[in-house]
Amino acid sequence: MEATDALLAARLAAGDDRALAEVFDDLAPTVYGAALRILREGSAAQDVVQDVFVELWRHPDRYDPAAGTLGTYLNALARHRAVDLVRSELRRLARQERHYRMSQDGTEPTPSDQVTAADTADAVRAAVKLLPDGQRQVVELAFFQGLSYREVALATGIPEGTAKSRLRLALAKLEAVLDRQLLESP
Amino acid sequence: MTSNVVPAGLRERVLAAADRARPPGQAVPDVGQDTPIEAFSRAADALYDTLQALGDQDWRLPVLRDLDVQGLIGHLIGVEHDVQRCMAGDPEVGNADHVASTQPAALSQAGRPPAATMADWREQVDRTIRIAAQSDLDAMVAVHGVALWLRDLLIGRTFELWTHENDIRAVTQLSPSVPEPSTLRPMSQLAADLLPFGAAFTDLHEPISVHLVLTGQGGGTWDVTVGDPAPDPAQVGIVTGVVGFCRLVSDRIRPADLDVYVTGEPRQAMSVLTAAAALALD
Repeated sequence: MEATDALLAARLAAGDDRALAEVFDDLAPTVYGAALRILREGSAAQDVVQDVFVELWRHPDRYDPAAGTLGTYLNALARHRAVDLVRSELRRLARQERHYRMSQDGTEPTPSDQVTAADTADAVRAAVKLLPDGQRQVVELAFFQGLSYREVALATGIPEGTAKSRLRLALAKLEAVLDRQLLESP
Repeated sequence: MTSNVVPAGLRERVLAAADRARPPGQAVPDVGQDTPIEAFSRAADALYDTLQALGDQDWRLPVLRDLDVQGLIGHLIGVEHDVQRCMAGDPEVGNADHVASTQPAALSQAGRPPAATMADWREQVDRTIRIAAQSDLDAMVAVHGVALWLRDLLIGRTFELWTHENDIRAVTQLSPSVPEPSTLRPMSQLAADLLPFGAAFTDLHEPISVHLVLTGQGGGTWDVTVGDPAPDPAQVGIVTGVVGFCRLVSDRIRPADLDVYVTGEPRQAMSVLTAAAALALD
C-alpha cells in the first residue's frame, strides 16, 4: 500500500490522529503562508490554519483525491477562509459606517470602535492599497484612523457628501478586489 | 506556493482543537453499530440468501476440509447446538473441539435433501437468536476452548457465518460478500480487542505497541499492546482496509497477501498480522 493522499484521507476518516499530525507537519507551512498572504497578520492566519485542519479532521470525506492533491485542497480552503474573514470584517465595517451615517447626530466613533477598526487594519490593508488614491484616502482616514465623515471631509478638502459616497464606493471595490485576489491565488 | 515557518505552539493548539472536535479513533462518517444479535442475525440472513441461490449440484461441491457445501452447513448446525448448550451453561462444551464436536452433524447431512439441511440450519440459527435475546450478553460463556462474553461470542459467530458464506460463494463462482458497515464495526472492534490473544496463540512475546488503522466504512483506529508487558514496547503502525483485515482474522488471506501500509519494523508488523490470523477457529 503506497503512502498517497488518498491513503491519508482514508486514515483520517478512520480516526487516525497520527495521520492528522503528519498532514500538519507536511502542509501547515504552506497553509499558513496562504492565509498570511491574504490576511497579513499572524494571529488571524493562525486561526485560519486551525480552522482548516480541524475542518479536515471533522470532514475528511470532503477532500476528493481525484480532484487534486491534499495540499491544493487545504491551501484553497485556507484562502477561502482568509477571504471570508476579511469580508466579514468589511461587512462589519460597512455596518458600522451605515449605523454612523444613519444616526445623523454627529457622534464621533467610540474608542472601542476605533480600537476594533484598528484591529482590522492589518487584514484589509493589502486590499485597501489597491484602491484608487481618493478612495484609499477616505478609507484610511475613516476606518484606520477613526475620523468622522466631517473630519475626513476637512482633512481631504472635499464635501462631506463626497466623502460618504467615496467610502461606499471603496467598500464595494474592496469586495471586488478580494474576490479577484481569491481567484488569482495559486 | 508561499511557505512559512509555522509559529511555535500552533501545532499543539491545532491538534488539541482537532481532538476536541472529534476524538481520535472515532471513524467518520458514523455508520452506527449493530448489536451483537443484530450482527449475527444479518450474517445468518446473508448466508441463508446465498444458500437459497444454490442449485442442488452446488451442495455437493467440496468446500472446506473434507466437507462439501451441505456438510459445511451440517457443521454449522453442530455449532449452533454447541452454542445453545454453552448458553445453557453446559460446561462440557467449553473444552470441546470445534471440528470434532460438530463433525457428526456435518457428516449426517450426506444423502439428505439440501433443502432439509438448509431448513434445519435456519431453525437452529433462529433458536440461537431467541435464546441469546433472552440471555445476559455480558455473561461469560465457554465453547470450543474459548471463554468470552456472550456478546463477543455472537460477533465471533458473525465472523464465522460470513466466512463460511464466502467459502461457499467462492466454490460456486459467486462474488464475495461484504457485511454492512454497521456489522463490520463490531467485527473490527472485536478483532482489535482480541489481538493480544492472537499474539498469545502464536507465541508472540516481543512487546509491541500496535497503532492499528482499519480504513473504510466500519473501520476505526486502535492502539493495542501485544506480547509480554514491557515499559517501552516497540512501536508499529499498521494501516489496512477493514474488510481485508476481517478476512485475515478469518484466516482467509495470508498476512503476506494483505495490502498494508506499515510504519516501524516490518518484521514486527508481520508478526502482529500473523497473530491476527491465528484468531480464526474455522
